[in-house]
Amino acid sequence: MKGWCVSLWPPILMLILCSVHTNSLKRCLISVDMRFIEKSFQGIKRELQAKDTFQNVTVLSILESPKNIKPADVCCVTKHLLTFYRDRVFQDHQESSPQIVRKISSIANSFLYMQKTLHQCQEQRWCHCSQEATNATRTVHDNYDQLDVHSAALKSLGELDIFLAWIDKNHQETSAA
Amino acid sequence: MLARLLLSLAALGGPRWSSGAHGTELPSPPSVWFEAKFFQHILHWSPIPNQSNSTYYEVAILKYGKEDWQLLPNCSQRLVLSCDLTLFTLDLYRSFGYWARVRAMEGSQHSNWTITKTRFTMDEVTLTVGSVKLEVHKDFILGTIQPPRPQITPEGDAYENIFEFFRQYKIAIRKVPENMFTVYTVPHENFNLSVPGKWGEFCVKVKPSVASRTNKAEWSEEQCLRLSQQYLTVTNLSIFFTLFLLLCGGLVFLALQNYVRSKGKLPAVLDFKKPDPFIPNNLPCPEIYNTIHILGPEAFLKVSPEPRDSDLHGSTDSGFGSCKPSLQTEEPPFLLPGPEPQSQGTLGKGESPELQDSHSNGSSNSTDSGICLQEPSLHRGPGLSWDQQVRSASHSQDDSGIGLVQNSEGKLEHTQCQSALGHISILEPKVPEAEDPAVMTFQGYLKQTRPTEETASSGGSLDENPLTNDLGPKPWTCLQAETGWPLPALAKGYLKQDSPGLGVAPTRAAAGQWNQLTEEWPLLALASCEDLSLTSWRFTHGLGSLDCVVAPIGLLGSFDSDLVNLSHISSLNSKE
Repeated sequence: MKGWCVSLWPPILMLILCSVHTNSLKRCLISVDMRFIEKSFQGIKRELQAKDTFQNVTVLSILESPKNIKPADVCCVTKHLLTFYRDRVFQDHQESSPQIVRKISSIANSFLYMQKTLHQCQEQRWCHCSQEATNATRTVHDNYDQLDVHSAALKSLGELDIFLAWIDKNHQETSAA
Repeated sequence: MLARLLLSLAALGGPRWSSGAHGTELPSPPSVWFEAKFFQHILHWSPIPNQSNSTYYEVAILKYGKEDWQLLPNCSQRLVLSCDLTLFTLDLYRSFGYWARVRAMEGSQHSNWTITKTRFTMDEVTLTVGSVKLEVHKDFILGTIQPPRPQITPEGDAYENIFEFFRQYKIAIRKVPENMFTVYTVPHENFNLSVPGKWGEFCVKVKPSVASRTNKAEWSEEQCLRLSQQYLTVTNLSIFFTLFLLLCGGLVFLALQNYVRSKGKLPAVLDFKKPDPFIPNNLPCPEIYNTIHILGPEAFLKVSPEPRDSDLHGSTDSGFGSCKPSLQTEEPPFLLPGPEPQSQGTLGKGESPELQDSHSNGSSNSTDSGICLQEPSLHRGPGLSWDQQVRSASHSQDDSGIGLVQNSEGKLEHTQCQSALGHISILEPKVPEAEDPAVMTFQGYLKQTRPTEETASSGGSLDENPLTNDLGPKPWTCLQAETGWPLPALAKGYLKQDSPGLGVAPTRAAAGQWNQLTEEWPLLALASCEDLSLTSWRFTHGLGSLDCVVAPIGLLGSFDSDLVNLSHISSLNSKE
């Protein structure tokens, strides 16, 4: 009897850890207003995507299928993509329109806030990065490097709706859970 | 050389140039866009200018991230400017979206491609409802919202699955024929609206939304239904039953009461009783206004020497500088029955004429009211110093009140008495405690009987600001003209003035008599110079002072028979 009870402990613990890990993204992003970011992007979506001349290339191809990213890797991938946008996309993009610059700056600030939140989660070991998550992030960088810097940055900005929808979907799933 | 150049150029831009040659012959469609609802993705485009009947358009779509464009031949119909791409975009809600492009074709000619401005994603889908079912249940409207159910929807891609979270609906209801809608937001597809106490025709429409998305939405068509008035409700029935019980109870009570009364016997003989002797038939009517009360000096002793604060005093002064006879217009401190002063008991014999005269003098019209202050210097020194003090005070004031001021030529000047009083009141508004105001009053008059030289000698006393020596409100003493215009003694001076217009020189005897009067009747000291009002202060040489002197005495003329004439004189002066 005692052995039977003891044998139940590891699965129970695993279940608890999995649920905690699944909810890690929710805990990290619960205070972020995603709708505000989406509205900011909708205001400049037309101008950004109209300039994209490479319709057959996708930078965030890893996010196309939900099977590509495991739930446990969601936090890590989100963190890496936020870093990608902060360090490369926003830096490489050159915009002349002040209205677009204002909107992009607003989105960038929101991304910085999300990064800080995820960093706290990482310190608490809630945002573990597996090898698969690291590989997925590398694919994004490779896609970015296929194009010239200006086109790549422009396309990556045009794909912000994909990135935001993916975060929103994972956030909703975790919050509903 | 030139031929080689042309050939090389043709080789380089051959296909493009050839297509461009065709493309340039036909203009490309100005714009291409999607108009999409849930699993209803319609591509629209605008026609090219000067299109012919043989012009048709080619449509191609590209799934974002894929390599090749997919041409859609079903959309290439003549003079058709839209195409349903739902079947080709079924995975729209689970993919990154599609690009679409259109070009014009006419024979062998074609135009350049026109691509959509944005990548077509589920963000551009306009949300709608499939249907709304309404039912009336008592005072409630029960509603059931049916999401859109297109037949082409793939399995597992129902509206509730695509938009799994944060679905909500806006319910707008209005009463016919009003156009004002009341909007509610419900988080579910089932709702109930309560319309208590209202009946008639109501119209309802619904608009869906997803809180976490920025999709546009459309209102559904209005559905109207009629709410009939419910008469046989539980509430109405209970009220009716209660009223019925009360009515029955009341009827039973009345019946019992009548029955009980019918038990009583009627008297055999009707006895008319005599009236109660204790109940008087004719009550004596009180005569309120027929009695004449002769007020003695005791009544006047009740008058407080201190000025009273009342609204009557309320001109620009704080009450100390007003010049209204307090005895006349305020609530009399002595016992006088009846409201009318004429019918009242007089203050003494001859009082009523004085009162009337004082009224006719226009004292009631005075802007000043209250008690006139008296200088303490009047008690001490020469009276002419008072003139200087008041003159300086009056000159330093703005328009307010009337006061006696002597100019350099010795003529009397009209200034507001109130101004001087106000000046005095500012200096020391406190109530005097040590000195007798009555004595001070008459001393003031005594001073004014002296000529100019006394004024110069006593000028310093006023400069010391005697009023600041803890003297508060004092009875007003009118300023007398300077040299050549001494204040006459009240009694005899006025007595001498049998005809109007004659100046009466005040004499020492009159001043002394006045002094004696004020000693005996401190009320004189309190008498405010209502005559200092504009109507009464008509200064003529030697008469203005008399008015001032007369006014207080006029109130108390009954005290001395000689003073009776003073009122006449004052009236004459006022008329002048």
